[in-house]
Amino acid sequence: MEKKPLLVAENIDKKFDITHAVDNVSLTIYAGEIRGLIGENGSGKSTFSQMLCGIYTIGGGTFKLDGKELHVRNQVEANNEGVAIIVQEMGTLSGLTVAENIFLGHEDPFMNGVVKNTAAMNKEAQRLLNEYGFGRIDAANMIDAYNFEDRKLIEIVKATYMKPKILVVDETTTALSQNGRMELYKIMDQVRDDGRSVIFISHDLGEVLEHTDTVTVLRDGEYIDTVNTKDVTEDDLKRLMVGREIGNAYYRTDYGTPVSKEVVLSIKNVTVPKQIYDISFDLHKGEILGIGGLSECGMHEVGKAIFGASWDREGSVTLADGTEINSIPTAIKHSIAYASKDRDNESIILNESIRNNVVLPSIDDLANRKILSGRKLTRFAKKHADDMQTKMASVHQFISDLSGGNKQKVVLARWMGKGSDILVLDSPTRGIDVKVKQAIYALMQELKEEGKSIIMISEEIPELLGMSDRIFIMKDGKINGEFLRSKQLDENDLIAKMV
Amino acid sequence: MSQKLEKLKSSRYYGFCLLFAMLIFFYGVFKILTPNNFGSPANLYAYLQSSIIYAVGGCGLYFIVVMGLFDFAVGSNIVLSSIVGVILAKKFGYAGFIIGCLGCGTLIGLLIGFLYNKLNVPSMIVTVGLMLIFESVAVFAAGGEKQTLPENLRFFSGAPGNIILAVLAFLLMYFILNYTKIGTYCNAIGSNEFTAKNMGIDVKKYKLIGFMLLHFFVGIMAILSVSYGTTMTALTGMSTMSRNFQPLMGTFFGIAFRKYGQPITAIIVGEFIISLIFNGFIALGAPTTIQNVVTGAALLVIVTLTARGSKGSVVK
Repeated sequence: MEKKPLLVAENIDKKFDITHAVDNVSLTIYAGEIRGLIGENGSGKSTFSQMLCGIYTIGGGTFKLDGKELHVRNQVEANNEGVAIIVQEMGTLSGLTVAENIFLGHEDPFMNGVVKNTAAMNKEAQRLLNEYGFGRIDAANMIDAYNFEDRKLIEIVKATYMKPKILVVDETTTALSQNGRMELYKIMDQVRDDGRSVIFISHDLGEVLEHTDTVTVLRDGEYIDTVNTKDVTEDDLKRLMVGREIGNAYYRTDYGTPVSKEVVLSIKNVTVPKQIYDISFDLHKGEILGIGGLSECGMHEVGKAIFGASWDREGSVTLADGTEINSIPTAIKHSIAYASKDRDNESIILNESIRNNVVLPSIDDLANRKILSGRKLTRFAKKHADDMQTKMASVHQFISDLSGGNKQKVVLARWMGKGSDILVLDSPTRGIDVKVKQAIYALMQELKEEGKSIIMISEEIPELLGMSDRIFIMKDGKINGEFLRSKQLDENDLIAKMV
Repeated sequence: MSQKLEKLKSSRYYGFCLLFAMLIFFYGVFKILTPNNFGSPANLYAYLQSSIIYAVGGCGLYFIVVMGLFDFAVGSNIVLSSIVGVILAKKFGYAGFIIGCLGCGTLIGLLIGFLYNKLNVPSMIVTVGLMLIFESVAVFAAGGEKQTLPENLRFFSGAPGNIILAVLAFLLMYFILNYTKIGTYCNAIGSNEFTAKNMGIDVKKYKLIGFMLLHFFVGIMAILSVSYGTTMTALTGMSTMSRNFQPLMGTFFGIAFRKYGQPITAIIVGEFIISLIFNGFIALGAPTTIQNVVTGAALLVIVTLTARGSKGSVVK
């Protein structure tokens, strides 16, 4: 049977200053398919889909949905034309009820003149929530009463209840637990079975292979190829994304290399109420120590506690020379670096230049009798950003313009510039494409060889197995298992201690 | 168990209980300290009558403050609208009084909102500039004289007139917040302006509406204020600034209890608590300076207990 084109993108183009984010991309999405849209960070996939949904204006070219050209200026207009998006970040608004969030911008069916029929709106929202199987969520309740995942589920209802012809799922699954993901996959399948289509953006290639029919690859803003999912492997997709073989150097290949006995940091009986309990371990010189577990096991709090960022921490974090680390300034002063999982909110200053983000902890070192030289700061930032191969127009570019992977490179450049000896990296490759991942792993290996010590907190088991000298698995805020680097160690050993 | 506790803590009943617990606490403290001069039913009724005037202004300010804006011209508008209302009342009776106060108030809101949108500068700067202008306009309008509300037009000076008008204002606020798009959109803009824009909300339009609604409520407050005091004198030199803060205290309560879905109740009860504290100190014979110190401190304590971010969180 001949496939019916549903969405035709012709010569779609977008520039941000000198960055060509989407370069003349043409593609067709057919009715009744789930189309994976993949590419490295900065490949243009989010910009492409956000133009489709009215979040960005279209720089050039046309989108035609069911033969009709789209001219949408915001998400509501896109919804009215049959396009909806579920975004990576929080897409619901505090201070509103669940029902108000679901129907935000679409109140008209409940309006009688200027009067809103709140009861009818709540009733309809509750009916939808029940229909989706989220009946435990009360439509009349304030949305602030629900956690991030529930709010994401509410967003899924909001994006799909009007049965859009095209549903864009942009990196949403990283915010969801396994159950939440299953719900989302079910809804995606339903959209396809109804003869509508899904654009599914994800960095998790396994997930892409499992849940899509076709995959389009973008690279550096350009269209590369569209392939049938059943005809390709994960390695094929990686090759298309990167433009070359990723090879075997993805993770460390050494096994049995002894780790120094020299302790650089001692964590003793560290507790953060309601989060982690009685955590104790030593970090050695030149060691990569992996900490893993399920998302809510408390591992992310361990990083903050070590860096002095948990205000109610108990227990001690002590350097080899006896210095106690009780605050962030003390940690930084004593050569400890920290990269948060929540990159945009906790690691970088979004509305600042790359330069100012890089120099931030090194300002005192760069000042000459308290006076700063702009040229010196620029030189410093450029050197370290270039060392990290950050894709940028210049160090004066705002960091908010960069892709996730390049933002992470800036974070690392900052700490490389500071010359930190102990790095606490929380989810260092979260939402990052394979090429940048590879670069970060190579950097970690290099740092290890220089005798620097790394605590890598990660939700990705292959990353833990591939990079760590030692792995702690946490469960319910406590260390539940310890493993040494070994070829024989596999995912099941770790999972057994997680659940 | 802890989940149930968390659920209970986010319910509107918890918000109610918290508000009334505070009310009883402050009442109890002053009743014990000065049992004879404070807190009789007649006293409470008097406190209520003064506090509802500020609560009306607090309701208006809510529309602006919830969007992250601020308005320093509230006090100057109370004075100007009162004077315009009284001048028109002398010619046209109640119709002139009501239309003068509400019309002048709303027009000023329109002007502030328009200039805020056009100048594209922070609301605080726009309203400080306009406050100085409105103060001077009020002096011109009053001809340099104290304006007295005619005796035959003082229905709103006491119960039941003032209570009826205030209750109508609260019901209007409740209606706007719960049964129009305005309430939803003001909250949405305050939560995330960028997302609100993406949802097709005309942010500038709703900010303009917010300022107009605020100053419509200020118009009502002007009716109640000039009726309560019977006269209004126009003064310059930022002397109206102090009139901004008491309504704002109620708004802070409203914002703090928004998470329980109780902003209006919180504004009304909050203003009543402030009034209780203030009158409690009068009953104790404390000097005005001390009264102000303690009222300010009480506000800080109450808002800290109800609305502060968790330790370590970023507060601006």
